[in-house]
Amino acid sequence: MTVVTKNGVSNGVSNGVSNGVSNGVSNGVSNGKHSPHVRPVRAFQETFEPMPLSASIFASVNYMFLGLFGVIRDFLRTNKIEKVFTASEDPEMKGFAPLYDDFLSFYHRNAFMRIIECLTRPLARAPGAVLHIVEREFSNAGWVCKYTGKILKNVVNLGSYNYLGISENKGKSTKVVIEAAKKYGVGICSPRREVGNLDIHSELEQVVAEYLDVEASISFGMGFATNVMTIPSLVDKDCLVLGDEHNHASIATGCKLSNATIRRFKHNNMEDLEKKLCDGIAYGQPRTHRPWKKILIVVEGVYSMEGSITNLAGIVALKKKYKAYLYIDEAHSMGALGKRARGVTDYFGIDAKEVDVIMGTFSKFFPGQGGFIAGSRAIIEHLRADSAIASYATSMSAPVCQQAISVFNMLSSTEEGKKKTKQLAKNCRMFRQGLKKAGFIVYGNDDSPIVPVMIFYPSKMLGFSREMLERGFAVVVAGYPATPVLGSRVRFCLSATLTDKQIQDALSAIIDVGDLVQMTYLKGK
Amino acid sequence: MHTGTTNQVANPNTVVWNSPGIWITYLLTTGFMHLILLSMPWFTTSVSWTLTNVLHGVCMYFFLHTIKGTPFETSDQGKYRYSTHWEQIDSGTQFTAARKFFMTTPIVLYILASFYSMYDFTHFVVNTLVLLLSLLPKLPQLHGVRIFGINKY
Repeated sequence: MTVVTKNGVSNGVSNGVSNGVSNGVSNGVSNGKHSPHVRPVRAFQETFEPMPLSASIFASVNYMFLGLFGVIRDFLRTNKIEKVFTASEDPEMKGFAPLYDDFLSFYHRNAFMRIIECLTRPLARAPGAVLHIVEREFSNAGWVCKYTGKILKNVVNLGSYNYLGISENKGKSTKVVIEAAKKYGVGICSPRREVGNLDIHSELEQVVAEYLDVEASISFGMGFATNVMTIPSLVDKDCLVLGDEHNHASIATGCKLSNATIRRFKHNNMEDLEKKLCDGIAYGQPRTHRPWKKILIVVEGVYSMEGSITNLAGIVALKKKYKAYLYIDEAHSMGALGKRARGVTDYFGIDAKEVDVIMGTFSKFFPGQGGFIAGSRAIIEHLRADSAIASYATSMSAPVCQQAISVFNMLSSTEEGKKKTKQLAKNCRMFRQGLKKAGFIVYGNDDSPIVPVMIFYPSKMLGFSREMLERGFAVVVAGYPATPVLGSRVRFCLSATLTDKQIQDALSAIIDVGDLVQMTYLKGK
Repeated sequence: MHTGTTNQVANPNTVVWNSPGIWITYLLTTGFMHLILLSMPWFTTSVSWTLTNVLHGVCMYFFLHTIKGTPFETSDQGKYRYSTHWEQIDSGTQFTAARKFFMTTPIVLYILASFYSMYDFTHFVVNTLVLLLSLLPKLPQLHGVRIFGINKY
């Protein structure tokens, strides 16, 4: 249901306008009245089509066959008919407690290794708009690998997180980065609080804070570790963390490390979040019913496996109503969403100061390494003193800092940044519409640059990836354990460097392979 | 090692019997096995029905009550390493839909096998023993119980 105001702009009242299983998404305020602060720029919609029944039956049968052949191969391996390539116990240590459990590695040995040829491809060039892939030949159900000596050149890259297409090693910023490497060296070899604090770090933090329109920011050397080490500095055992069910492993690890009580709400479901907030505040802590010290809502900007965008308008409304804090992990949305490429706050038109803690990484769309936290000066100064990374982990390398600074400057001041953002948004819509018309099941939000297309069958993943490589496109397939067991998918990451012709070629190749592998579940509906 | 990846549940074995379409898959597989047995010319109808019941019961006992742990690594620090699959279903909650389904299928098969074997005495003994083998380990009182230490580690 979309409420249209006088000048035709729909505001944050839309519920899931989707043709499958819609995920709630009222903006959390009852009766559909919207809070005056939040006025997102477009109607919020996302789709998660349910699995067709035939796919679930035959995908389970697929797993049964994988299991059956796994048992046969294990039998051959124990009776020395087939060669064993995994690590195994030293026969001299026979009486000792076993180091390895045969059953625990069953899936890895018999199912995962069969797909390994499409999951670990070596590259002969920096992964930019195109790739040079080193060709390999596999045998023994994925355990024996041989290089054929050939390199597949100019494979179109549909898998790297290269949203604005800056991921090259020749470009405008290369010269400045080399100068920085000559001036500061490559490694820092010390944490920020010892002798690892350079002026370039402060400059980077200043640039990030200005870019995001917040008070201050702090940078760290590793993106995964940013989440893991920051959340324990913000919450402790008397706090409640409400995380989306599809949050990344780094957030889950950070929450576990902090000893806070973790409750997960259904993906992007504002009713569920509101219920958990109400229950949390009303019942207090589990046994003693004392009030929580603070409630922290943790979501991601763009979810990398679902291709969906968080319902920020709804969450900010709820956060204000129940006085909770909000932590957004903008690893995939920074630089990819929003007219000015500021991330999910820009996409929704919400002031970045409404979000208490914004986390981002420098490894996704600027090619680089590291992460940052942006927020109010109080929080950042607290993290400078309290966070374990600032005290014990080495700080960001100087050339990487310089690269990030150059990219931020390019985005905020030049026309090039605006052009790339527009091209990326156009590519997203064109690509998704093409796939949906062909009958693929595409998850997520129409504006997200990540496009997951469902395969469901574990064995079809390999077929799809191989066939796409033969047609000159490199894609990333994801199966268990990154996705649910019957939820194997191929995940396309769009880039601003893809020209219209490349997208049309990609679409025709995908439709070709999709027909071959029979992935077009919605064809004819 | 699958670090950096995550699932909604630490151990997918706990929720696999709630995924869409899995009950139908199970019934179709049992039906398919029954059809194969029925099509063997040297089995009479009674024998093939009883054999279906026996095979179903033995396989169920093996997969649900003998095998312990998971065939993949889980992120719950080995909580279910010594639990059979039956004990892992729904993380040990009793009387859920999946558990009721698994209690019902041996009973339905038993009734069908008794009917098609014309209530013959030998078939009755075999079918009843298999029914007991299928039902007794599923009782909530026997959750986590290892009689005489069999199958403990």
